[in-house]
Amino acid sequence: MADTLDVRGEICPYPMMRTVTALKKLSKEDRSLEVVTDHAPALDTIPTQAARLGFRTDIEEAGGSEWRLVLTRIDGEEGA
Amino acid sequence: MSKVTSAVAAWGVAGIIYVATHQFDTQFAMYWAFGLAFGFVLQRARFCFASAFRDLFLLGHGRNMKGVLVGLAVGSLGFGLVMSRQVPMTFLGILPPSANVLPLGIHTALGGVLFGVGMVLAGGCVSGSIYRMGEGYVASWVAFAGLMGGLLASAYTWNWWWDRFISTAPRYWLPSWLGHPGAIAATLAALAAVYVGVLVMEHRAGMVLPRTPPSHGPSDSVGAELRSVVRTVFVDGWAIIPAGAVLGGLNVLLFTAQEPWGFTGEVSRWSLAAASLVNLPAPMLSGVADLPGCVFVPSDGSILNHMLFLVVGMWFGSFAGALGAGEFKVRLPRRRARYTQSLGGGVLMGYGSGLAMGCTIGAFFSGIPSLALNGWVFAVFLGGGAWIGTQLIQRIP
Repeated sequence: MADTLDVRGEICPYPMMRTVTALKKLSKEDRSLEVVTDHAPALDTIPTQAARLGFRTDIEEAGGSEWRLVLTRIDGEEGA
Repeated sequence: MSKVTSAVAAWGVAGIIYVATHQFDTQFAMYWAFGLAFGFVLQRARFCFASAFRDLFLLGHGRNMKGVLVGLAVGSLGFGLVMSRQVPMTFLGILPPSANVLPLGIHTALGGVLFGVGMVLAGGCVSGSIYRMGEGYVASWVAFAGLMGGLLASAYTWNWWWDRFISTAPRYWLPSWLGHPGAIAATLAALAAVYVGVLVMEHRAGMVLPRTPPSHGPSDSVGAELRSVVRTVFVDGWAIIPAGAVLGGLNVLLFTAQEPWGFTGEVSRWSLAAASLVNLPAPMLSGVADLPGCVFVPSDGSILNHMLFLVVGMWFGSFAGALGAGEFKVRLPRRRARYTQSLGGGVLMGYGSGLAMGCTIGAFFSGIPSLALNGWVFAVFLGGGAWIGTQLIQRIP
């Protein structure tokens, strides 16, 4: 079960900054992190920052101007 | 209510206000329409001047800055053309009457730094806060209140700045030195150089993942094609380059019709009127009647003003845009620090825009196209302030 980070209500650029902090704290065994946000600009910034840290992002619309982002660690063979 | 119904209702209200104001004063209606258009495009493209600077420093992410640069290029071409008709003889020392060629001095630099710090702290500049207010961000309403307070503080101290610095400060207009074609060419070349700089910063920071717009599938009929166009305009986010070009183009149209885009002068009018109501009026402000740009507008006791329709129109255009895209939501920050941060950022923006006689729009997005040196100086110090702001926010959890 993935951890969930709820950054709803946050102003720019905290959704992205708090996601990066959480990803850096993630232990090696944790494969993924789920982020819930209502801040649309974060849909551009989070995937880029996550990719730079070696995570893939899948965005799901949760309705009511909220999005669920699932960040999954990319394994070595898929490229860093 | 579905998002289609609510958006259609909102645009219906906007249309009724247009028709009603048109009966009363055609200028009110025109500014209302411009306000709606600016607010709608800002919202649809998430066009944010604060993030244009901040994301470059914080992430090496140049999306918004590229849009800003394209908007400045379009604006410079259009303003340049209009001004070349207004003032054909540049060597006579005449300045274009309504362009934002402003007194340039230490107040321009200090205003830029304060504004830059403030917009990053508040998570948006003045135009950014206005469109986020329309999207339902409560923190942006707080930032706007701070902005009104900061403008008032700036008005109280204006005469001090005026006597020492602003009254004797020179106004530099590039066409006076380079002629019209030379000034336009130099401005475009400088903008292109900054664009290359942005690409270098992005490249150094590593990859940037662009969000691929959703595909609407093959269009096999005119109806399907039209639905796809409507989705692109009203539902999917706009790409930043066309948005920058449209904002630059709208600014040229507004300048052709009347004056450059800008509104902190109008917001200062609300602040000054509110202060008078509670018996704390600002002193007589020296020199403001003879300056263009977003300089203070002393209250004349009236409420309605064409500029009021521009500001409220921007808010409403963003609100209608957000409704249509399903992006409206009342968002309350849970951390109390955010309210303090937004308020403080707003105050800094207010004081800075008072000194610089404009915000990221009036002093920058309209200042550089006015082919005025003050636009570039403001931009450099705005960037410096945004860099300081970026260091600060990383220390606020």
